[in-house]
Amino acid sequence: MAVLLDPEDTETKALHDYADFNGKRVLEIGCGDGRLTWRYADRAASVTAIDPKVEDIEIAVDECPAELRHKIDFRVARLEELDSPTEKYDLALLSWSL
Amino acid sequence: MVHALERICDLLKSDGILLDIHPTNEMAAMAVRLQEQIIPAGWLNESDDYVEYEWADEALQHVVSSGQFALERVGTFEFVWHADSMSDLCAYLAEEWKDAIIDDMTAGRIEELLKLPVYDKEILVSEAIRIARYRRA
Repeated sequence: MAVLLDPEDTETKALHDYADFNGKRVLEIGCGDGRLTWRYADRAASVTAIDPKVEDIEIAVDECPAELRHKIDFRVARLEELDSPTEKYDLALLSWSL
Repeated sequence: MVHALERICDLLKSDGILLDIHPTNEMAAMAVRLQEQIIPAGWLNESDDYVEYEWADEALQHVVSSGQFALERVGTFEFVWHADSMSDLCAYLAEEWKDAIIDDMTAGRIEELLKLPVYDKEILVSEAIRIARYRRA
């Protein structure tokens, strides 16, 4: 172990205590390497996860679990560059990014 | 930040939810765990004194005041990092939190505690994180 982040999983517990991700269309802003995305994406209908850092999105794509690949769309983008979707989102998640 | 929140409002359905997670502007507490005992060692500060988190709070307050979002629930939780050594922690901070500052007194105290002849020990960094749920109004 070098540095472990939140092995107690308090963040995941808070996330699911505050929002119901089941069947939701989610926009995650500032997804980084997907650390938080993996913690809810299994319940969501679909996830658009954006971050301006190319290297972080590359890690997220590489590390995306096989069972989640069909529902997560990782994009290198800033919020202002995001096109308006044909169907709006149910839930927007600002993950340590505001 | 306000522009970002206004853009999010546009992207959400009429009853959509905004969930915001960000650290508070409190300094992160540093401690050393020696087996079951947790010994406070000092604080981890930022070169800009966490000012961006105050700006985030102000931006969120603005979009609530302007009627774009309604605050439904807010709270805090503790997010803890565990590190084996100061060198591990400093390497991580250099990569992920470049404006973090550990003062010499805190660093020295941690090094002294880690030298104690205890088998099971680690550094703990505890951040207070704000989580809030808003509904598009």
